[in-house]
Amino acid sequence: MSETLLDIRNLNVDFKTPRGRVHALRDVSFKVPKGKIVGVVGESGSGKSTVIWAVTQLLAGNAVVEGGEAIFDGRDALKFSGDELRNYRGEQVSIVFQDPMTSQSPVLSYREQMTDILYRRKGSSDEEKRRNAIAMMRRVGIPDPESRILQYPHQFSGGMRQRAGIAMALLMDPLLLVADEPTTALDVTMEAQIIHLIRELQADMAATIMLVSHNLGLIAELCDEVVVMYAGEVVEHGDVHDIFHRAGHPYTRALLECDPARETTRMRYLPTIPGDVPDLHVKPSGCVFASRCPRVFDHCAGNRPRQHRLGENGHLVACHLLDAGLAPDAPAQEPSATARMEQAEHAVSREKAPLLEVDNLRVRFRIMGDFKARIKGVDDPFVDAVLNASLSLKSGETLGLVGESGSGKTTLGRAILGLVDTHSGSAKYQGQELTGLSNSEFLPMRRHMAMMFQDPIGSLSPRQTVRALFSEPFEIHGLDGRNLQDEVHRLCDMVSLPRNFLSRYPHELSGGQARRVGVARALALNPALVIADEPTAGLDVSVQGEILNLMSELQTEHGLGYLIISHNLPVVRHISDRLAIMYLGRLVERGDCDLIFENPAHPYTEALVRGVPQPDPGKRRTLVSIEGEVPSLASRPSGCEFHTRCKYATDECKTVPPVETTLADGRVVLCHHPLTG
Amino acid sequence: MIDPTLSGQIEFSERREKLTLFMQNKLGMFGLLLVLLFFASAIFAPIFATHDPFQMDIPNRMSGPTAAHWAGTDQLGRDTYSRVLYGGRVALKVAAIGVSVSLSIGLILGMLAGYGPRWLDNLLLLVFDTIRSFPTIVLALAAVALLGPSLNLVLAVVIVTTIPGYARLARTSTLALKNTEFILAERSLGASPVRIMLRHIMPNVIGPLLILAAMDVPVVVTIEAGLSFLGLGVLPPTASWGSILNEGYLIIRDTPWPVIAGGIPLVLTTLGFTFLGEALRDVFDPKLRKGH
Repeated sequence: MSETLLDIRNLNVDFKTPRGRVHALRDVSFKVPKGKIVGVVGESGSGKSTVIWAVTQLLAGNAVVEGGEAIFDGRDALKFSGDELRNYRGEQVSIVFQDPMTSQSPVLSYREQMTDILYRRKGSSDEEKRRNAIAMMRRVGIPDPESRILQYPHQFSGGMRQRAGIAMALLMDPLLLVADEPTTALDVTMEAQIIHLIRELQADMAATIMLVSHNLGLIAELCDEVVVMYAGEVVEHGDVHDIFHRAGHPYTRALLECDPARETTRMRYLPTIPGDVPDLHVKPSGCVFASRCPRVFDHCAGNRPRQHRLGENGHLVACHLLDAGLAPDAPAQEPSATARMEQAEHAVSREKAPLLEVDNLRVRFRIMGDFKARIKGVDDPFVDAVLNASLSLKSGETLGLVGESGSGKTTLGRAILGLVDTHSGSAKYQGQELTGLSNSEFLPMRRHMAMMFQDPIGSLSPRQTVRALFSEPFEIHGLDGRNLQDEVHRLCDMVSLPRNFLSRYPHELSGGQARRVGVARALALNPALVIADEPTAGLDVSVQGEILNLMSELQTEHGLGYLIISHNLPVVRHISDRLAIMYLGRLVERGDCDLIFENPAHPYTEALVRGVPQPDPGKRRTLVSIEGEVPSLASRPSGCEFHTRCKYATDECKTVPPVETTLADGRVVLCHHPLTG
Repeated sequence: MIDPTLSGQIEFSERREKLTLFMQNKLGMFGLLLVLLFFASAIFAPIFATHDPFQMDIPNRMSGPTAAHWAGTDQLGRDTYSRVLYGGRVALKVAAIGVSVSLSIGLILGMLAGYGPRWLDNLLLLVFDTIRSFPTIVLALAAVALLGPSLNLVLAVVIVTTIPGYARLARTSTLALKNTEFILAERSLGASPVRIMLRHIMPNVIGPLLILAAMDVPVVVTIEAGLSFLGLGVLPPTASWGSILNEGYLIIRDTPWPVIAGGIPLVLTTLGFTFLGEALRDVFDPKLRKGH
């Protein structure tokens, strides 16, 4: 066992709220050994972020540390104050924040920000500080650091900004680097690059890293040790291989099973963890997970579990099953739950006529007024957010629309529903043209097509009760003649939302509950087509499964056609029959979902598919699959627009735009040199 | 899972929680007390008054507080306490009507400017800026020159000059909401612009407007007082806090009581509405409430 850098012992943190105290952390203890990457994983409300804010003394004003210590290099970091605290934060611990957009000063150049960080180095001159900063920028892989260091955060792309954030955190050569969800705000390809960078730097500098994330794939890719937290307690702590392959705690097992990225064969239903995180206003008397545990027994509710050592590496598990001497690796799921996972009858309509047919759709946004364009000498003051997009969808079928941020996937979805004006091309619903309709002409069509939006809570009108939100679709379409009360109750039952939630407001719902309300609203009028924009964004893994299961149940029941827009590939893979991959507003590959995942034809698809971190520490990748960043829509590359990032690019790709080719297996690819066929 | 029959109780406890939160806010309760006092004294002025506000008592002019005249008398020997009570009626009328009318108009125009087409926004902004560029008094002078002094004219001037404040506030909040996902979600359901504005934008923008209204009440009362002083508002002998203050200011060397008695209700009303406004915002804006 190597030397311990940070030793957290019995940390207790409460938050004072108008409704009483929330016991956010209870007796959290774990060690961070020198030179290792320790991952803290948990769902929202698990207290994983509270741990790092407590250790750095950056907790919100209403938090109270009720006890415990954090021994950092021999001394209690919770007791530091004044100069000592500043020295600790500045020199010994650094933080990489989740959102590089908001954690960097927008009015200072990187040079100023980085030399500011070095203000403690009184001995060194400005020139030395600048050289240090440039060296660090180069080290994190920022090209041409001499000139880029003079730029401001808004001139950097998201991935570059996060690299700069890491550079800033490493500048003082800290003993401990704390990373709070460092890739959550980034796209898959950027995420892969950052993972690669962190691993490289760690090998290089033997840094100690504490990584907080909800992303199991990220944890598996990066960490040496994993701490699993649930509702403010550590439930399991051990070596990454032990956690991912020989998990002892029922929660850890359930969490791992919920992750769709783990799926090897396609299942109709994802395992879920039923129930909610317990209310932490009351200190739980027994095991915190008892209320949701599939293997709960009479001993669990009343007594707090002891920590047991398990396996040859002796990883820690806090579970009563081990008291009773029961084997932890007995089936974690009840047989009834597994039975539900069987391949359900899947009824894609055999009819020829598609529900939705999009042909050569183009959406342009004006970027400046005519007058300004003339002054600036710009001929074409527009950008194309969607270019020549064609796709079709049958009822009962799910089409996944995948791409990184800025690929135009959301715009395409909104354009189909007439929420964004289209420039040319057509979108037909059951043969009826949708583009160019006025609002009143579109209104009768809206009964048949519904949209679900990204933010589960933010897409619900905040001052309306759930009851009002549910009855609204009927009122809008003049169906108030129906018994609204009955309809509202029907919707509640459809998405299994308890009826007493009807009097709640959106902010009083959890993410999963709000998403259920969103699903119910979308399906209120029995539409045939549902466009879902990131249906699981902002949801925890265990809840994500519930929503996906609900959506596929409702699909089988009502024969719905789904267009799922997402950047989350495991989710898309789980739910889709067919896929369409978007890059810079163009569809670069379309076809059967399984075929695409097994054997991507477009190099971009390959990069995306291979870019997903696998929740399995045995399958760590060695290579970054894609370099560089998404180019700007305003200056599209010549030829094949992907050639700037494509590792297979030839001279032909740089000059000649590719045309769509149909492969033998029916896939359509926009590439000169498809990887298959 | 909670029994569905409990839902009524949950609704009830939600309301009670808001009430409790409000009661816990001591400044808010104090503000409410002052505001209630203001309303009660204005509405029940004839009952609380000890004298007719116009009745002169020349032998006792400019006296300090006595058993007969609780707050002394003015230069004509009129009872200051009673005049202050009746002055509150003028203040209440101007404040209540002026603020509520301009709040409603400002809210509607602001939402139209924010959610409506671009040209309407530009047109309305032009009108608002034009109104705001006039000093209130100059506008009032012009109106009086044309129509002659009256309380209704004071009201009209107050309404016209305060509309832009509400409208701009409503417009800014509307613009911020216009592209949020929930508005987009409503549009995708087929909700009409009128429905979106009234049901989904209004409840979200009205909060700050109500705070502004609560803070505007004292401003409006002062405008009325100022105009009355210039002879453009309430005509003597009608009492208003403004006219009491201004008459008192002329005789301050002889007796300070009219100024004190006229000034205190103005101060208390200002404080009361401000505290109440802030407390209400804390309680009723779910997003500002902590602990969720």
